[in-house]
Amino acid sequence: MKIPLLLRVGFLVLATTAFYTYVGQMVPQKEVLPPAEIVLRTDLTTGEMVKVGREIMEGKGLCLTCHTIGSSGALRFPDLAGVAARAKTREPGLSDVQYFARSIYEPNAFIVPGFNPGMPVGNKPPVGLTDQEILCVIAYLQTLGGTPTVTLQTKHQYNAGTPAAPPSQGASPGGTQPEAPLKGEKR
Amino acid sequence: MSNGVMNRKALVLLGPVAGIVMFVAVVWMATVFVRQFEYREPYRAPAATADATPRAEGLAAERAAAETRARATPYVEAEYRTVPVVGSRVAIWSVAQLHLLFAAFVLAVPLFAFIIEVIGYKTGDLRYDRLAHEFTKLLSVSFSLTATFGAFLTFMLIILYPKFTNYLMSVFSPTFLPYVLLFFAEAFFLYTYYYGWGKFRPLVHLGLGLGLNLVGTAIMMIANAWLTFMTSPRGISDQGAVISVWDAVTNYTWMPINIHRFIANIAFGGSVAAAYAAFKFLQAETDDERAHYDWMGYIGNFVAIGAFLPLPFAGYYLAKEIYAFSQTLGLTMMGGAFSWLFIIQAVLIGNLFLAANYYLWLGMGRVEGVQPLQKVIKYLLVAITLCFMVWATPRSIVATVSELRAMGGGAHPVLGYLGVMSAKNTAVNILILTTFMSFLLYRRTGKVATVRWAKTGHSAQLAIFAAAAFIVIFLGIYGYFVEATVRIRLSVPQVSSVLIAMVSITAIDLFLFRGAARTGEVRWGKIPLISQYVLIFIAVTFTWLMGLMGYVRSGLRQHWHVYGVIRDQSVDAFTPTLGFATKVVSVTVLEFFLLIAFVFWITSLHDRPDVQRRSKAIDQTRKGGAEVI
Repeated sequence: MKIPLLLRVGFLVLATTAFYTYVGQMVPQKEVLPPAEIVLRTDLTTGEMVKVGREIMEGKGLCLTCHTIGSSGALRFPDLAGVAARAKTREPGLSDVQYFARSIYEPNAFIVPGFNPGMPVGNKPPVGLTDQEILCVIAYLQTLGGTPTVTLQTKHQYNAGTPAAPPSQGASPGGTQPEAPLKGEKR
Repeated sequence: MSNGVMNRKALVLLGPVAGIVMFVAVVWMATVFVRQFEYREPYRAPAATADATPRAEGLAAERAAAETRARATPYVEAEYRTVPVVGSRVAIWSVAQLHLLFAAFVLAVPLFAFIIEVIGYKTGDLRYDRLAHEFTKLLSVSFSLTATFGAFLTFMLIILYPKFTNYLMSVFSPTFLPYVLLFFAEAFFLYTYYYGWGKFRPLVHLGLGLGLNLVGTAIMMIANAWLTFMTSPRGISDQGAVISVWDAVTNYTWMPINIHRFIANIAFGGSVAAAYAAFKFLQAETDDERAHYDWMGYIGNFVAIGAFLPLPFAGYYLAKEIYAFSQTLGLTMMGGAFSWLFIIQAVLIGNLFLAANYYLWLGMGRVEGVQPLQKVIKYLLVAITLCFMVWATPRSIVATVSELRAMGGGAHPVLGYLGVMSAKNTAVNILILTTFMSFLLYRRTGKVATVRWAKTGHSAQLAIFAAAAFIVIFLGIYGYFVEATVRIRLSVPQVSSVLIAMVSITAIDLFLFRGAARTGEVRWGKIPLISQYVLIFIAVTFTWLMGLMGYVRSGLRQHWHVYGVIRDQSVDAFTPTLGFATKVVSVTVLEFFLLIAFVFWITSLHDRPDVQRRSKAIDQTRKGGAEVI
């Protein structure tokens, strides 16, 4: 029996698209949801901030899209393992908190040697973290080779604290009390 | 006698009386008849006298309450509206993709029809003119469908995403009038080009073809500004207020998309035209028809593959600009949510390369006699397969926890090295070189170079090939040992060496085979039937690839309408799984092929004899006369 040409061609078109659809089902299936709104309590402890900071880095902050923790070899962006120790001495005159804050608010102000600029500004879209969320991220970063010290009341040069200054004068971890209600406080 | 006279008088008197009576009777009967059957309004009791049922009262009360509520509600502009069952996103996705596929086709066909017409004009070979005309026949219906889908898409955007569409209109309203005027110009050039075939002097007709292509490209570039702005906005404040429309148009990804689409459209149009020729070849009943459509398919495929080879380079440029605009966006594309999409893309492109090469190898059989170059094919096949495997190797592998522990991470200890860009760049460049070599082998099948420097020429070509392959592979390996700042720049010399090799080898080839001796004639139409199915397979794969890449270009924004400026607040703001996306792409591709089959059918009507002539011919055949069809 001879199969009509139209049927043969139709079958070929159908089989080809079916094959590619099948390939599409074979790769990992992941639905990416928009970042959830994080509601921060004003009385978060540093330990709780660390957990929140990790969540932000994986989700809304998009940090781990580019950065790795504990990888080596040909990396595109700096690995964050042990970054807390490096941050204290990376830029003369900046404490670890100030250095982290600068890296997030002004990422192109200092580029780690061997890497290209490319990090988005943390407090503007598309990332758009609040000052409090950034403090949580800093708390988590401090755990990578150090001990977390920041609180939601910590001031630095970008959240109405003192401008970038030597560590002795700058916003020390667990620094001064806020003078005004928290800007990013949510319901 | 007197009795007879009296009777006659009585008859004379009775005659008119009887006539009057009969007339009255007829009128009376007619009146009765009409009255009986005429339409009469049924009797309706006055509303006040009708009994109000509880249901009627309830309905009236509901209507009144709804009206009161509507009057009390202030007007609120809708941000989103939904489509039942499939949802707004899938609906707009499907319509936009169909519009883009047809738009690509109507932009590409005039381009290569024009090129083929120029070749026909320069060589004086009428076959080229006929071929260009045949391609152009497909345009008229496709143009209408493109415009219809364009209007459909616009209405869908206004209805389903009114607030966002309003914003885009506020940014780009200055571009709308030029766009409409260009559309008028497009219609003018297209129809004069098509209907004026053979009616104008050749140069005037070529001028119309050139105008058609320039206007079509300009239209595409304006539309590209709208969509690229959504991915890489520029010329606006942080809050989205317009600062410079020109900057909004010339955003980061505008020119790369223009270039990428221009080339991809040619490849896509060529492949669909080749598929058309393949279908006609399979339908053909005479050797002449088969020869013509074999040649048409070959030219269509040649155009498609010729445009396909530089396409990855245009892709690099686009990706580079995406990274330049936002590293996060670039990494979301290549290393985040969409990284596995590029494995699917590798399968598609690998198939395209394999099919294109297979078609060329089958084509060698058209030439009379045994072809010594055919023995090289197996080596090319090995090279293509290896490159395909490298390109399709993922960086991280889906594995169980124990497997992940054994591997020490998501990357396989050995295969993981093939999943990085150094390996993939190398693989794609070697694929391009191999396909180019297949084409060169096909070109010289049945020919022997007779120039004095033939041996030197062949050696030089081989040396250039070897040098390009060495540079590509060396830089690919070198990339594993250097920092990111250095590695990212290595793709440029890799691409450059391949491009230089292709251009220089082609230049040598043109002179090398000038006045070449023929060892066998090309017998158009003498090719295995499977080759025609390969052409159709290539067209479907190209179309599917366009659908997939259209998805990543648009989906890359994830939960943003305009990246970083206007957030998607709709229920569809999430990024679906790749499995779901591929299903939508497949359905759209099937819809497109159904519609394109309709275009082919409509076009084929043009060449059919009309009904009267056909009936007459059948009658004559029945009577034993000669068939005149």
